Amino acid sequence: MNKKDLIGIFFNHPGNGQISNINYDELKSYVSSFNFVKKVWDSDDSPLLDRSLMVSEIQKIGITRLVIVGHDTGMVKAFFNSVFKYMGLPVEDVLLADFREHGALERNDTELAKAILVCAIYNVPFEIAAKPGTSDVCADTLVIGGGISGIQASLEIADANQKVFLVEKTGTIGGHMAMFDKTFPTLDCAACILTPKMVEVGQHENIELMTYSEVQDVSGEPGNYKVKILKKARRVDISTCIGCGTCSEKCPSKAFSEFDAGTTLRKAIYIPFPQAVPNKYLIDAESCRHVQGKKCGVCVKVCPVPGCIDLDQKDEVVEITVGNIIIATGFKVFDPKRAEQFGYGKHPNVLTSLEFERLINAAGPTGGNITYRTKDKKGNWVFTTGGDVPDTVAIIHCIGSRDENYNAYCSKVCCMYSLKLAHLVKEKLPDAKVYEHYIDMRAFGKGYEEFYERIKKEGIKIIRGRTAIVESTNGKLIIKSEDVEKGKLLEKKVEMVILAVGLEPTDDAASIAKMCGIDVDGAGWMKEVNYVSDPVNTLSGGVAIAGLCQGPKDIPDSVAQASAAASRVLQNILKGKVSKGISSLTFSDIEKRARELSTIKYD
Amino acid sequence: MAQRVDPTFMKSLEKFGVKDWKDCFHCGNCTASCPLTEEDYQFPRMVIRQAQMGLKDKLKSNLDLWMCYFCGDCTKTCPREANPCEIMRSIRRFQISAYDWTGLSKKFFTSTTWELSFIIGIGVIVLALFALFLPPSPELWTNPALFLNEQGGVMINNMVESISGPQFVKIIEYGDWTMAVVVGGLLISNILNMFYLTLLKDKSLHIPFTAYFTEFWKLIFHFSTQDKLRKCDDKSYWVGHVLLMTGYTIMFVIIVGLLPKFQIEEIVPWYNWQRLLGYYATIGILVFLIPVVIGRFKKKKCKLKHSHPTDWHFIIMLGLTAISGILVHIFRITGMPIATYISYVLHLAILVPMIMIEVPFSKWSHLAYRPFAIYFAALKKAGVEKEKVEPTPAFA
Ligand SMILES: Cc1cc2nc3c(=O)[nH]c(=O)nc-3n(C[C@H](O)[C@H](O)[C@H](O)COP(=O)(O)OP(=O)(O)OC[C@H]3O[C@@H](n4cnc5c(N)ncnc54)[C@H](O)[C@@H]3O)c2cc1C
Ligand code: SF4
Ligand code: SF4
Ligand code: SF4
Ligand code: SF4
Repeated sequence: MNKKDLIGIFFNHPGNGQISNINYDELKSYVSSFNFVKKVWDSDDSPLLDRSLMVSEIQKIGITRLVIVGHDTGMVKAFFNSVFKYMGLPVEDVLLADFREHGALERNDTELAKAILVCAIYNVPFEIAAKPGTSDVCADTLVIGGGISGIQASLEIADANQKVFLVEKTGTIGGHMAMFDKTFPTLDCAACILTPKMVEVGQHENIELMTYSEVQDVSGEPGNYKVKILKKARRVDISTCIGCGTCSEKCPSKAFSEFDAGTTLRKAIYIPFPQAVPNKYLIDAESCRHVQGKKCGVCVKVCPVPGCIDLDQKDEVVEITVGNIIIATGFKVFDPKRAEQFGYGKHPNVLTSLEFERLINAAGPTGGNITYRTKDKKGNWVFTTGGDVPDTVAIIHCIGSRDENYNAYCSKVCCMYSLKLAHLVKEKLPDAKVYEHYIDMRAFGKGYEEFYERIKKEGIKIIRGRTAIVESTNGKLIIKSEDVEKGKLLEKKVEMVILAVGLEPTDDAASIAKMCGIDVDGAGWMKEVNYVSDPVNTLSGGVAIAGLCQGPKDIPDSVAQASAAASRVLQNILKGKVSKGISSLTFSDIEKRARELSTIKYD
Repeated sequence: MAQRVDPTFMKSLEKFGVKDWKDCFHCGNCTASCPLTEEDYQFPRMVIRQAQMGLKDKLKSNLDLWMCYFCGDCTKTCPREANPCEIMRSIRRFQISAYDWTGLSKKFFTSTTWELSFIIGIGVIVLALFALFLPPSPELWTNPALFLNEQGGVMINNMVESISGPQFVKIIEYGDWTMAVVVGGLLISNILNMFYLTLLKDKSLHIPFTAYFTEFWKLIFHFSTQDKLRKCDDKSYWVGHVLLMTGYTIMFVIIVGLLPKFQIEEIVPWYNWQRLLGYYATIGILVFLIPVVIGRFKKKKCKLKHSHPTDWHFIIMLGLTAISGILVHIFRITGMPIATYISYVLHLAILVPMIMIEVPFSKWSHLAYRPFAIYFAALKKAGVEKEKVEPTPAFA
């Protein structure tokens, strides 16, 4: 193309009160350095676009190509298309340089915005000008998060004879799945699937498991990341602890059990659950009397292995080098105290689904019996085997999901797990009345609709219409809802309410993402390169994501994505090279490439 | 009755104030959290459904809408932020315009120009009538002391030249009566139309004659107590409404029925009934008005978040009426004849259009329609129940 190209640039500011920290002035002074950029408009100066005015301006200067740069550029494209059409110019010459692309907007990254702009000016696709280079890859891999996703990814890489460091925040791997009794839609025993995998992780020669540890810092570059890992003081020596439990038996201090979702108490020196991996005890500093400065040390006295318990052990930081990272940090459940109308925290028998998973679990606090929450001697509300048994149970869907007041998205798994829980209640208490209140029933997967049909036949009342209010009078819970299909107002007395709480990103998701140089989306989920075509890779080279940290999904999907992430890592290891990711490029690299590739002649 | 689905209907409701009508996904949360919905009525979700489907006739005959007192509880937890309470209110505006056979109501709700022109037009007519037939006496300027009584207050009925005090009061009183007849006639005819649309039109309904009498107390009771509003979460709505409604009614009675006793020459002590009633009414209106104005500006409470132009017109007119009335009072007792005359004329130039427009056609009319709707709903129920009580035996 030898024709003389004259360019006009339209700067489009964010509308609707959005603010952006991208420096428009810097971009403007940058484009003024091009002698073929003949005209610059600004949406702030000309908020009303007038076609005839624009046509005459463009004709006067003889502009042949137009770049719309900034926020929501698609919104004004139609206008300039019509201008170009009117003048008989090809609409392909109206180009967009949108900051929403490539994460410039989320990061408020003016340099990246400038790079996007310069590619549009030179008419070179950003992806081509900004092709990151590759670097040699260190064969070791870091997996962050030991839920089913992290376990799956670690095992696949380790089975391919590559070394994996698996870092898990809590005292055991297993994640949420370890808390469940059954999984939908097959009603398989969760532990039967998970425990063998956990054990394998614990014993695998290629996996170095670091539980009770957190990633503190990631530096270096793709293929060669230096990672600092904080090994929190466990105060029990994993290599010598024989897991006898004597210490725990005698320990005088108690705290709510995380693994049991706070439905019961555990000791300060504890094992999260009997099948934990590693199957060793640990001390919770916050509840241990000794650590809190009181007199104790009972555990040390009763422990049969000398030197196993070290009450004064300090946190330790280790540094490792890895080539690839898989983030599999999972989720947390919505805190229903935020939605007061459902009475959680006010009425003891309003439960979250996660609490109920523990209650119904044969290995849970009541051995799988459904009972009322009761107050123990110290005034803690806990589940114990002695409690009364409810005869009406209501399950309420979409708590904290599909709700503009909390999370607008659908949490995807709660319809199905609610059906599962309803089935489990019926299994345990065949005479109990079970109500399930939903907005829409989302049975989206293989065998799921069939599962729904099956549950419908089990005598469970499945009612369309979410409950609005849970109240209590004389100890009985009252739920108010509308049966939308019948157009009837319902006010029912029930004895237990299960809230199908939605899924949310973990509290530290954003900081983990930042350490690894990737973004989170508006809701806080980890951001992939492209949700449709590349849901596993991220903008950082050698960093993949797997499982729920990317967004709501069930176990089968988490496992599939974990396998995909493992395969991406193995690809890199096999090639010995890893893409450095866009973040590795500087603005001048991209500008230089764009100029080289451009067909535009400039003097 | 065959019903046609009309998806464009919601679009036409936008002019009545509905904004978020597409958002509702029918979870039923609003109906379940509404303190006023009952087995017999179903709102707001059912109403939103009817509106989304464009069942115009159903909506015109729907009495449930009036059982809603617009407390806003339903909007608080709507997961789609669809603002059901606002949708309900907007559909009530549509209903008011359906009841109004003159068509003016619809014009007023959907066009600010129409409503403002009418308000200003009537105000100007009032001013013109005063200028032509009841102009101020020139002596107001030259010899103001002439117009003061022995207590030093302004003799309010003697400010027009060559018209005596009793004559003046008679003229104003006749004016008031004319206004009352016009306004009352329009309102009653609209209520009759409402009666037709909601009850008579439904041929399957047979209302027992006695029910008209046995249920009548509901009309009076709900009009005077605004009782249902008490069930809403925020009790201040109820207090505000009772104060406003009683203040308004007292003012109306004083003006239309007792003017010669009320608009008198001497300044009576503050504890006399005339002044006490006047003060109560003014305070009632202000106590209602001030928080509402603040709320509409702050837009925090969901019921006050969206203000339709007619809401502002009503508030402004009511506020100006109260303020000008207070000024008349102050000028009168402090002995300022010119100011008294001017404020008196202005007071009427605001009050008359407000009553003429608001009562039969616009915002105020809900105060009448709502108790009538409760009465009609009771009649409807009595009708339905009568049919239920006497089922035709299968084998006779
Ligand atoms: C009540 C309930 C019932 C469910 N029932 C089913 C079912 O029946 N069937 C089904 O298919 N799905 C079900 N699901 C969904 C299922 O839980 C998820 O799909 C699955 O757990 C996702 O696994 P994950 O490994 O990605 O995340 P998680 O299970 O959340 O695991 C994440 C792991 O990462 C660790 N971690 C977090 N942050 C860090 C950090 N910064 N550093 C180190 N480690 C960290 C966590 O401690 C955890 O061990 C259910 C969900 C809920 C809430
Ligand atoms: S020292 Fe701490 S962990 Fe050990 S027994 Fe005492 S409280 Fe329990
Ligand atoms: S999966 Fe079901 S319960 Fe969960 S948010 Fe979606 S619709 Fe609601
Ligand atoms: S208006 Fe809101 S609360 Fe009512 S049904 Fe629709 S979405 Fe649900
Ligand atoms: S505004 Fe109040 S009375 Fe009206 S529907 Fe909503 S909750 Fe019910």
